[in-house]
Amino acid sequence: MFEKFPRLFLFYENSLNSSATSSRTPSQSTTTITDSSLQSSDTQGSYDGIFEDHPGLNPSSERIVELQSDIREKLEELLINKSPDAAMVAAEALHGESDNIPFMEFILNDLNTNGVESESYKDALAALVKMVPSPLEQFEIIPFFPMKIGDLYFSFTNPSLFMLLTLSLVLLLLYFVTKKGGGNSVPNAWQSLVELIYDFVLNLVNEQISGLSGNVKQKFFPCILVTFTFSLFRNPQGMIPYSFTVTSHFLITLGLSFSIFIGITIVGFQRNGLPFLSFLLPAGVPLPLAPFLVLLELIPHCFRALSSGIRLFANMMAGHSSVKILSGSAWTMLCMNDLFYFIGDLGPLFIVLALTGPELGVAISQAHVSTISICIYLNDAINLHQSDSFL
Amino acid sequence: MKKRSVSRIPPLFMLESAKLIGAGAATIASAGAAVGIGNVFSSLIHSVARNPSLAKQSFGYAILGFALTEAIALFAPMMAFLILFVF
Repeated sequence: MFEKFPRLFLFYENSLNSSATSSRTPSQSTTTITDSSLQSSDTQGSYDGIFEDHPGLNPSSERIVELQSDIREKLEELLINKSPDAAMVAAEALHGESDNIPFMEFILNDLNTNGVESESYKDALAALVKMVPSPLEQFEIIPFFPMKIGDLYFSFTNPSLFMLLTLSLVLLLLYFVTKKGGGNSVPNAWQSLVELIYDFVLNLVNEQISGLSGNVKQKFFPCILVTFTFSLFRNPQGMIPYSFTVTSHFLITLGLSFSIFIGITIVGFQRNGLPFLSFLLPAGVPLPLAPFLVLLELIPHCFRALSSGIRLFANMMAGHSSVKILSGSAWTMLCMNDLFYFIGDLGPLFIVLALTGPELGVAISQAHVSTISICIYLNDAINLHQSDSFL
Repeated sequence: MKKRSVSRIPPLFMLESAKLIGAGAATIASAGAAVGIGNVFSSLIHSVARNPSLAKQSFGYAILGFALTEAIALFAPMMAFLILFVF
């Protein structure tokens, strides 16, 4: 659809010129028309020298338009993972406002022969980076050691690196705390931190899961403790500048919540046998209503698997993006070399600082919330319909 | 060549404006979250005023309710960011 446009318009322009010729001097009318239409559509960039050009009278202009659209098409081909407008922006940046035919032919040639290796392609990429600063860039997954096992993409990427980092951090902490056969009876700061976390999750499990003796309940404790500790350490680590937030990826949070959901279903069947399926029907419901109620209960039950993943993902992504956007605006204002902006910069800077606090709070409270919801789901699966939980 | 700029920008221009409108509309959802968070804390104050001895326990529940509501609140900016920067 796009490649049709330039020619169509040229055509239109020519006919416009010819109609203008009958009434007035052609060159004058063309300039005024393009003038006004340019002002209405010129969004960004400078169209220097555009007023000197008279397309209707210029025999080479069709060739220029053709070349420009060829460059854009070629870039669209090369920039597969980018959108068409990104390719257009890149093409615009490459040929600029030049009407130099050999120059554009050179670019096109370069793109055609050298493809991704060409200088022009690199220039286009650089222009894209400069022109489309996205706050979602920080979530990009970069493979460090590309690996493939069969058809399986098995690379060591930055999420893997940061997950390993978290894991080793927590394990080191636990190792040093329990080094001499279980630590000291009077704990130091690190040991009390670990004890605090342990105690917190222990209380959570004891409170939320009811109807079982302490020993049986504690079977689930290690799994819940690991889940809690992982997100507790993982989420705030994403707040460190230039680090990577693993839990801001839907794939990872969804993998976590789905595996927990499947595990809880297995536990439910193990504890209750086939009567576990009675969770689909509240007690004391008249039989004719049963088909509807089973459906109604099944949907929220399955949605639990999605909801805890989405909640964590959305919180991490939205929070990090907003911090990034605000700090970007603060940095831009600081770099404007203008006293007014320099003073005004304190505003965004303060908002960034103020936002970092709640962001850390969200990171920690999300770990808490997801752990509580896991406990509640587990409780529902173990004690059918006798839960007194408030969620 | 001026033709190009005249003829090609409008569709993208419309798309860009539609994106901005969509992102703006997505943030309307924050109103609901504001009501929810206000509700959580007003209920906390009510219940503590009626039974101060349960203050500590209700505060824990209130923080949990706040975190859950706030999680939903963050869906709104998330949608806005997705509309603006992904598509």
